[in-house]
Amino acid sequence: MSKPKLAIFDFASCEGCQLQIINMEEEILDLMSIVNPVEWREAMSEQSEDFDIAVIEGSITRSGDEERLRRIRERAKVVVALGACATCGGVNKIMNNFNIEEAKKAVYQEASLMPHLNTSLTKAVDEVIDVDYKIHGCPIDRKEFAYIIRCLALGKNPEIPAYAVCVECKLKENICRYEQGEICLGPLTRAGCGARCPSVETWCFGCRGFIDDPNIYAAKEVMNKYGKTSEDLKDRMMLFGSKQRYIYE
Amino acid sequence: MKIIKLDQTSFNFWVDRLIKKQCVFGVQSKGDRFVFDTLTRAEDLRLDYDVTILPPKKYFLPQREDLLDFSIKGEYKSITEREPFILLGVHPYDVVAISQMDRVFSADNYDVHYMSRRYNATIISCDVQRASNQVFAGSMNTATVQAGFDILLTKIGDSYLIDARTAKGEALLEGLTVRTEPTDKDLQERKQVWKENARLLQKNKLKGKPEELPELLEKSYYDPIWEEKSKLCFSCGSCNLVCPTCYCFDVQDDLNWDMQTGKRTRAWDGCLLRDFAAVAGGHNFRRQRADRYRHRFYRKGKYMAEKIGQVACVGCGRCIDACIPNIANPVEVYNQLFMSQKNIYIPEQVTLLKTEKMTERETFYELKMDSGLDLGHEPGQFVEISLPGIGEAPISVSSSPTQTGTFQIVVRAVGNVTTAMSRLKPGDHVGVRGPFGSQFPVHDVMKGKDILIICGGIGLVPIRSAINFILDNRDDYGAMTILYGMKKPKDQLFATELEEWSKLPGVQVLQTVDCYDESWKGNVGVITTLLSLIKLNSESTVAVVCGPPVMYPFVLKDLETMGMTAESIYVSLERRMKCGVGKCGHCQMNEIYVCQEGPVFKYSDIKEVMEAI
Ligand SMILES: Cc1cc2nc3c(=O)[nH]c(=O)nc-3n(C[C@H](O)[C@H](O)[C@H](O)COP(=O)(O)OP(=O)(O)OC[C@H]3O[C@@H](n4cnc5c(N)ncnc54)[C@H](O)[C@@H]3O)c2cc1C
Ligand code: SF4
Ligand code: SF4
Ligand code: SF4
Ligand code: SF4
Ligand code: SF4
Ligand code: FES
Repeated sequence: MSKPKLAIFDFASCEGCQLQIINMEEEILDLMSIVNPVEWREAMSEQSEDFDIAVIEGSITRSGDEERLRRIRERAKVVVALGACATCGGVNKIMNNFNIEEAKKAVYQEASLMPHLNTSLTKAVDEVIDVDYKIHGCPIDRKEFAYIIRCLALGKNPEIPAYAVCVECKLKENICRYEQGEICLGPLTRAGCGARCPSVETWCFGCRGFIDDPNIYAAKEVMNKYGKTSEDLKDRMMLFGSKQRYIYE
Repeated sequence: MKIIKLDQTSFNFWVDRLIKKQCVFGVQSKGDRFVFDTLTRAEDLRLDYDVTILPPKKYFLPQREDLLDFSIKGEYKSITEREPFILLGVHPYDVVAISQMDRVFSADNYDVHYMSRRYNATIISCDVQRASNQVFAGSMNTATVQAGFDILLTKIGDSYLIDARTAKGEALLEGLTVRTEPTDKDLQERKQVWKENARLLQKNKLKGKPEELPELLEKSYYDPIWEEKSKLCFSCGSCNLVCPTCYCFDVQDDLNWDMQTGKRTRAWDGCLLRDFAAVAGGHNFRRQRADRYRHRFYRKGKYMAEKIGQVACVGCGRCIDACIPNIANPVEVYNQLFMSQKNIYIPEQVTLLKTEKMTERETFYELKMDSGLDLGHEPGQFVEISLPGIGEAPISVSSSPTQTGTFQIVVRAVGNVTTAMSRLKPGDHVGVRGPFGSQFPVHDVMKGKDILIICGGIGLVPIRSAINFILDNRDDYGAMTILYGMKKPKDQLFATELEEWSKLPGVQVLQTVDCYDESWKGNVGVITTLLSLIKLNSESTVAVVCGPPVMYPFVLKDLETMGMTAESIYVSLERRMKCGVGKCGHCQMNEIYVCQEGPVFKYSDIKEVMEAI
């Protein structure tokens, strides 16, 4: 079996997810033993036009980026979205809740009119091109990344949890944040992180995006029961990009 | 059989000795909850726990475990563990659950992974010392056990009775120098603990016997309850995962980096999860939430009973705690099914134990269900009292659900049924249907809050249920202020109780009368005058209002002026009612059926309903 060629590209992101890959330490050599990296800006200087697996980090915020992304899709056999920015728009998507010009002014002030700061609404990668696999999380989980790459090298569909964070949270025997009077997005959010946040006694922010059929109706009703409102729920959903798709339905 | 008695010091010494000998997993605190975890010293053991977050099944069927090592070429090697260990402090209901799992994993196809752990375990059970909020082991006959463990601990006074029932258990007592034989009195007391626990471990009460569940479910497949309840289901699987009798798992392979060898592992799964029964091609055998929601109750109440001869719910109540939308309560579901199998218009017989004239028009009654079961109400709910030949009347339950065995009502003689009631004596029978309607939110919204109670006249009757519930769970709530207004001093209800309440720390009682006479030393004026006498922290307070219709507009207006939001005010409304079950239409106010959605409403939910206030 020849090693699949791997390229990693970044768009609007903090590059934290790529950093997670670099931080695999000795395992990075194991990774290199099963894939052949041909382009990876953060770790190497080569560039390539020829690859099998394209890993995309970051969300899409400019029309030029969309063009670049489509070119990658054309050349890749498999496209993998890496991290919340890519899979659901991530933190970057908060901007979509505001008027773009005002948001720019708030962030860049006088510089906001400079052409290189030109931006449009934030999109997740799958809002522009077809994505084959998503590695969720902000940042991603190194173990899950390794597992998924091994599956792709083997030619097997990785089994990415379709269930909610609550499952992993229960397995860890955590005290539920709702019992502590907090709003946790765990019941709506895709598992895979090992319930990272509730395990350190904070709520889930939903960084892995929603499960396929989140029960938003139940989430709102639950707010009532815990003396909170749907506005509180909406606030909690702000941080990661999925909010717009559901809450207003 | 060998029973010895150890005082707390010797008991701790014994536990520390066990820890030196073997790996001991014992109950310890985690925040304000409890978990089984590796015990390193006797001091950390918390046998006074109520319930653990996860059941001890995790030591036989770990959350995730390696089953096999394999190579791509097709070689498999089994991975099993053989370390002996002690499980310390298992409650009787969990012992029953373990016995059930033993049958599942040993019968037909012997599961060596589960069973090798099971053989290596010594189970030290402990009788429950503190009932959890939702336990109903008493209803499932699992409050006490006589088999399925190696040692049983029972706390008697400051000592423990240690009852070794197996050779494995006896071995753990060997070499103990300080040991006393229990006296007959100790053994008598232990019997008393068992009897009490069967009664106390019933925070939810099944309106039937566990053996009746398979037949009940046989008839309930198409009941609307599945659809109705599952609307709120997150499909989060928490109810499965925390259950001591759920054992479904998923199996997955993962390769090592050499891409040649790997591990096959299993991890807990749950039938509530969406893809649990999905097959290739996109078909899912239980696609709808309702299908999956129903399956759990069928599995516990019917399928497992058919498989192992016992209902696979031991009444630990964990699923109730774990379900965020609060729809997983088996007792609630089974009771509703028991009810819908019955004709909703047939009352159950109850006996009057006590009657007491309270004022010129009001009489107090204490009643007991002839079935021996509890009414099973929540504060704020009502019943239909039936007198054959005369009729029915909706009457609020005045006692708190924390008072078990009997319930109390207060009836004002105003017409046919209520006047006929006033002529009844202890020993007489009446019919009762219910409990019906919504409740004061004592289990959620009111928890941790300061409570402001405003009642006028007979409005004190239903609110008394909530007041006593709160006082019986005092630590769960903040300060309580009770404002009570009546027309004349002579109308005062529950005078002694009001007096007692007013003396409790953190409770303030203020009363007022519209027209006073010599006997009255307190305030005079309508109830709203009391509002100006209190300090109100509108942020941290939940207010509850119940009284005659005229009272509401004034009280509600004042509360809002004082900074309370409509979200934190609850009102109990009275309407003309006949059926009590959302059919006859008498109670309707605009689109709302008060008998079902009320009588207790969050004010913000009805503020805009024209006919409400
Ligand atoms: C949810 C709820 C809880 C209640 N709790 C209590 C309680 O704890 N103690 C208590 O004494 N009473 C309570 N009532 C009121 C009680 O139901 C009525 O007083 C009773 O139904 C009158 O029945 P009757 O056969 O004695 O009178 P009837 O002979 O039927 O009628 C006598 C008079 O009472 C009026 N009336 C009839 N039904 C009602 C009704 N449901 N509500 C108000 N007026 C009615 C009639 O219009 C008539 O004027 C409650 C009512 C409701 C809806
Ligand atoms: S998903 Fe989070 S960690 Fe990853 S690139 Fe985006 S912002 Fe950074
Ligand atoms: S803390 Fe969050 S993730 Fe954990 S069980 Fe509760 S809601 Fe689910
Ligand atoms: S718990 Fe939620 S927010 Fe935290 S890592 Fe997991 S998915 Fe992200
Ligand atoms: S169904 Fe619920 S109450 Fe019954 S054993 Fe399972 S977790 Fe306990
Ligand atoms: S715990 Fe409640 S919400 Fe979650 S799957 Fe079970 S019934 Fe549904
Ligand atoms: S009392 Fe019959 S519908 Fe409410």
